[in-house]
Amino acid sequence: MTAFETGDRVRVRSADKPGHVRTPEYLKGKTGRVESVLGEFRNPEDLAYGLSGLPERPLYKVGFRQADLWSDYEGPADDYLYADVYEQWLEHDEGGIT
Amino acid sequence: MTGVHDLGGSPGGPVDKGQHEVEDWERLADAVTIALDIKGIKTTDEHRRAIESLENYRALGYYERWVAATEKLLVEKGILTREEVDERSAEIENRWGGA
Repeated sequence: MTAFETGDRVRVRSADKPGHVRTPEYLKGKTGRVESVLGEFRNPEDLAYGLSGLPERPLYKVGFRQADLWSDYEGPADDYLYADVYEQWLEHDEGGIT
Repeated sequence: MTGVHDLGGSPGGPVDKGQHEVEDWERLADAVTIALDIKGIKTTDEHRRAIESLENYRALGYYERWVAATEKLLVEKGILTREEVDERSAEIENRWGGA
């Protein structure tokens, strides 16, 4: 059972975690939509230090409006960026922005 | 604190679209690194972490980073010592007459 489902509005946590992080800085604090649940995988942020990476963590494909990511974005309004984000980096977007 | 590799969205200047001939040492760097993964000696994630923590990251090319990170991991895991690597490098350099 995963914390999020396809269609959920999510926000990427703004955590300033040191070390190996698979979530790019430009996504932190941004909101998007879960496009699909990709499965569960060993946590790369632990594997990076020779640990087991267990338990496996759900990974999601999340879609972000390009205009929400870049303040000076000049492309079409329906341009999206898709990123794979692990569950521990996501929270429900309480704002309900669509 | 963002890692040196986490550059998405930062001004990067023009992209060099020129083609680059793959050199033999680059093929070898790739082969050795993947072989170590398949042997279960290291993981891709460890390699990425090692690359991101290279002090001279910006001064190195793509496969130079791979080689430096692989060396770092092998030393970290006690499979090779820095002295052994330096000794062997000097031996090879000597054989090639510093060319």
